Amino acid sequence: MNAQQLLDLFLKQIFGQPFILIGIIVLIGHLAMKQGISKALTGAIKASVGVIVMGMGAGALIGNFNKLITSIQTSTGINGAGLNTYPTMMAGYQKMDSVLGDGTGVSWGIYTMLIAFVINLILVALRKWTKIRAVYLTGNVMIVQTGITTYLVWKFLGTGMIGTVIIAGIIMALYWGIFATLLIKPTNIITGADFTVAHQQMFVSYLAYKIAPKLGDPKDDIEQKKMPSYLNILQDNIIATALVMFISIAIIFLAIGASNIDWLRSAEGLNQKGLTNNLVFLLWITITLTANIFVLLAGVRLFVGEIMLSFKGISEKLLPGAVAGVDCAATFAFAPKSVVLGFLFGTVGQVIGLLGLIVFKSPIFLIPGFIPLFFDNATIAVFANKFGGWKAAAMICTINGIIQIFGSMLAISMTGLTWWQGSADYATVWVVIIAILKAIGSWFGIPVGA
Amino acid sequence: MIRILCVCGNGMGTSTILKLNIKKICDKHQIEAEEESCAFGEAIGYLQNTDLVLTTPEWAGMLPPSNAVIATTKNLISLDCVEEALLKAIKENFPNELKQD
Repeated sequence: MNAQQLLDLFLKQIFGQPFILIGIIVLIGHLAMKQGISKALTGAIKASVGVIVMGMGAGALIGNFNKLITSIQTSTGINGAGLNTYPTMMAGYQKMDSVLGDGTGVSWGIYTMLIAFVINLILVALRKWTKIRAVYLTGNVMIVQTGITTYLVWKFLGTGMIGTVIIAGIIMALYWGIFATLLIKPTNIITGADFTVAHQQMFVSYLAYKIAPKLGDPKDDIEQKKMPSYLNILQDNIIATALVMFISIAIIFLAIGASNIDWLRSAEGLNQKGLTNNLVFLLWITITLTANIFVLLAGVRLFVGEIMLSFKGISEKLLPGAVAGVDCAATFAFAPKSVVLGFLFGTVGQVIGLLGLIVFKSPIFLIPGFIPLFFDNATIAVFANKFGGWKAAAMICTINGIIQIFGSMLAISMTGLTWWQGSADYATVWVVIIAILKAIGSWFGIPVGA
Repeated sequence: MIRILCVCGNGMGTSTILKLNIKKICDKHQIEAEEESCAFGEAIGYLQNTDLVLTTPEWAGMLPPSNAVIATTKNLISLDCVEEALLKAIKENFPNELKQD
């Protein structure tokens, strides 16, 4: 084996292959946490399987979804785009892979995640000066966010691997540290527990915490009121995903008309010629897309648990005083009614936003997704209700729903992807970050990547 | 050995942290356990092979009927709250699993 082959083996086949890379990281993490070799190996193999499963779900989802977007395009001339977190990451990776070779996107994304985590730890270690006290531990969200940031930096700054990973890592660590730290106090007031929310609506949740007292009275707490218990089922991710899908696709069917629905049925489309009944075909698409998302999430779940074990252990060992930043859903049990309220009014806001896109003849139409719709508005409602009562929560979530639509549209007009993350922060803070990256890129005359 | 299932809405963030914390608690009290985590929507598939479920009161109320013991706490993230709920459930239902020393 000569030097060239050796380099190829290490860079492309080992450290460039996400399934091996994740396996190695998990193995090292488990061994560092003294888990024993058999547990470390089990974890590493599960994580490797998870990466492949995630790719299968995302591939099928993006493939099926693109057919829907094509049908919207041919019938109305409008470009469609979906709002969801994981597919946005995968869509960015696909663009990177198309230029840099298969597997590059995910590998760079994983390196960014590691660098960002280390910088986050350093910022917390220097908390005397940085004021940053939160360590971001929500693995599932870290994966998505570092992936998207990696893509954005690569696209607009045209940097190589090391430059991309370092710049993206710094942006990520600052976003995580600053906003998760801002939420320590309000989260503590709501839960009485010592953790903070580390997710993707931190900035808007903080705004809600500040603005809600001016919009309403915290004594109007929805948690003290009665609410029909059947609404609780909306918290079930599979049911709610299917519901959002069904409504979105029903609207698409109405918009594209019979001939385009027939095209979707054909072999060129989704290849379901047998399903001649429109309602059955609509159900098939709904359930299939929900299943695609489920597979994707099942894959993520397989490796996220393993990575979080390492991250949590390392952070607790190195920085015992740090505040753990965890998934926004950890607050939901303290305010279950706010969660449902936020979801309902966020939906109202997104529908108003979508109608606005039609009224203003927007060249892009968006298809809402469950994750940004549910988790963001639920979390924002938890904060808004606590500090301003249910009326403030209803108002803020409606406005947030509208912002999610228009902000995402701005983001898509800059990135040119057929997906966008869609979360509250990704329709506000991140639109600004993209604009800055774009401005820096054009300042230096860097050609924009795929 | 007790088979413990951690359930939350999306089966991603909270239940994973819960799983890690339960592992820590079981190690501390020398309880032999196997931890698994999942989303509420998938729980029905796991329940048959589960002895003890840990979740929030809301989800507990909606779980399908099974033979598994259900323990709840509002604060699935706090090690102390989980430890209290878990040990209480084990003491009441699986006293033999607690190694008294």
